[in-house]
Amino acid sequence: MSIAFTLCLLAIVALSLLGLPIGHAMITGSVLYLWVKGIDLGIAAEQLLNGMYSSYLLLAIPLFILAAEFMNSGSIMDRLLRFCNALVGRWRGGLAHVNVVQSIIFAGMSGSALADAASSGKVMQSLMTRDGKYTPAFAAALTAVSSVIGPIIPPSIPMVLYALISDTSIAYLFLGGVIPGLLLGGVQMGLIAAAAKKRNFPVEAAVPLRELPRVTWEAFPALMMPVILFGLLYSGVTTPTEAAAAAAAYSLLVSAILYRSVSWGNVYKSLLGSARITISIGMLIAGALVFNYVVTVENVPKTVAAMFKAYELSPFTFMLLANIILLILGCFLEGTTILLVIVPVMLPTAAALGIDLVHFGVVVVVNIMIGLVTPPYGLLLFMMVKIGDVSLTELVKEVLPFLWVMLGALALMTLIPEIVLFLPKLFGYKG
Amino acid sequence: MSWLQAGAWLRRRAENVAAGLLAAMFLAFVIQIVFRYGFNFPVGWASELTVATWLWLVLFGSAFVLSEKEEIRFDLIYSAVGPRVRIGMAIASALALVVLYGASLKASFDYVSFMKVEKASYLKIRMDWMYSIYVIFLVAIIARYAWLLSRLLRGRDPEVGDVTKVSSGL
Repeated sequence: MSIAFTLCLLAIVALSLLGLPIGHAMITGSVLYLWVKGIDLGIAAEQLLNGMYSSYLLLAIPLFILAAEFMNSGSIMDRLLRFCNALVGRWRGGLAHVNVVQSIIFAGMSGSALADAASSGKVMQSLMTRDGKYTPAFAAALTAVSSVIGPIIPPSIPMVLYALISDTSIAYLFLGGVIPGLLLGGVQMGLIAAAAKKRNFPVEAAVPLRELPRVTWEAFPALMMPVILFGLLYSGVTTPTEAAAAAAAYSLLVSAILYRSVSWGNVYKSLLGSARITISIGMLIAGALVFNYVVTVENVPKTVAAMFKAYELSPFTFMLLANIILLILGCFLEGTTILLVIVPVMLPTAAALGIDLVHFGVVVVVNIMIGLVTPPYGLLLFMMVKIGDVSLTELVKEVLPFLWVMLGALALMTLIPEIVLFLPKLFGYKG
Repeated sequence: MSWLQAGAWLRRRAENVAAGLLAAMFLAFVIQIVFRYGFNFPVGWASELTVATWLWLVLFGSAFVLSEKEEIRFDLIYSAVGPRVRIGMAIASALALVVLYGASLKASFDYVSFMKVEKASYLKIRMDWMYSIYVIFLVAIIARYAWLLSRLLRGRDPEVGDVTKVSSGL
């Protein structure tokens, strides 16, 4: 590691701690590296521009965001909630189960946990806390942890990023996320069921079963979205990016024609909202492109791989270590940054140890998503503190039991690759 | 019209551009899909347009649309300290950015203008024009941070991010 690289790292860490936006911190630190090394400073521009211009796969990100925004602008959330309520509302702790099931279904349309929490958070919070049914802290905690499922069940923005850095198939990654996502939802609902008696959670008025077909029919076009996405992806008809565009077009059509709930004003709002998120994530990608040039010049991934090799790690120890490192980092760092900066350094080692990169990718994404609800730094926690108007301490206290069971689920999918790889293999993944 | 109103007006126009760029990207994709799968007639310009709108959306938007509140930053310390310390922190980081972005400006301009030797294959746009947004981005960001710096030096507390508005798309 050269002095220039040490300076570069120090600068990025220091500038981030000082509060500079992370994308800018990465570019600034990398420019410092070029300067100290006496390399042409125009390389920063070259790396950023060529990287952005040639990464066609990344275009799936704004399109998935747009699809979710279009879906959201209509009355779809209400219909989905009625559907979920008809399904699981009759159980003890009904609304809590509804919250999880809603997240699972919404996960099939949206690739972002933060978007899920932002869109359903307010509605769920007021439904769950009305008449003192649940405490605000519990409701907020549940929305936070159930939103984690969003990017694990496809579509998934972090998986698109992982596909980019690891050169794995986005279609197989998406398939690999399905069972882990359902598993996470399952353990959350298990925990709710276990707590329901003890905490005397209320039961909702049961929706008569004969109502179920109508409620399902109303939500049907929204429920079809993941099916369409999968159809396009796995028939190999379109590229993943085009499938994302088709998903956006579908959700616009559904909202506009079937649900008649979209106005020009709403379309503009969806476009601008998606544009803002795209810009934010785009700047992180831009910063990472420049910084990853520095990392490559310094040969960091190879050095790390050689270091791990010297320790003669078994694949299992490596996976365990990777999980621990990512979880600790997730407590302090923003997830996209971890994915774009730290994970590329781990990849050559994982590949050298013969770890399946689709399996590794899904485990990494689950890990990073869990990082969104680990204190002290968890974006979902911060968001729910605001939306639910609860204190961080109260919220964390309610999140912790969920965190433990989710970590248990993460351990399971780390130990048993088949949980991740079963579906991809069913669809022809050779591994 | 006061400066403040003019600024707000400009920001809304910048938002129009950002929304327009995303709309263009979306439409180009729809056209591409319809032509390729509907008429078995691939349209190269559409896919080139999508990449161009992505590049411009991110750099243009970062320069003119995102507010300080919406930036993704590590603000655990930043938002916890008192205003005096925060002003000091913001001065240090803004100074570093202005100096280093400023230092790279000439070289970046040279790289972008060197790209005039290439053209986008379908759109026939010279690549120096395509990439010019990076120079605009650099100048705008330097100007913005210089302006922030002048406010900070006069003791104005910088804005702390609003977490419900920040999204990294995770």
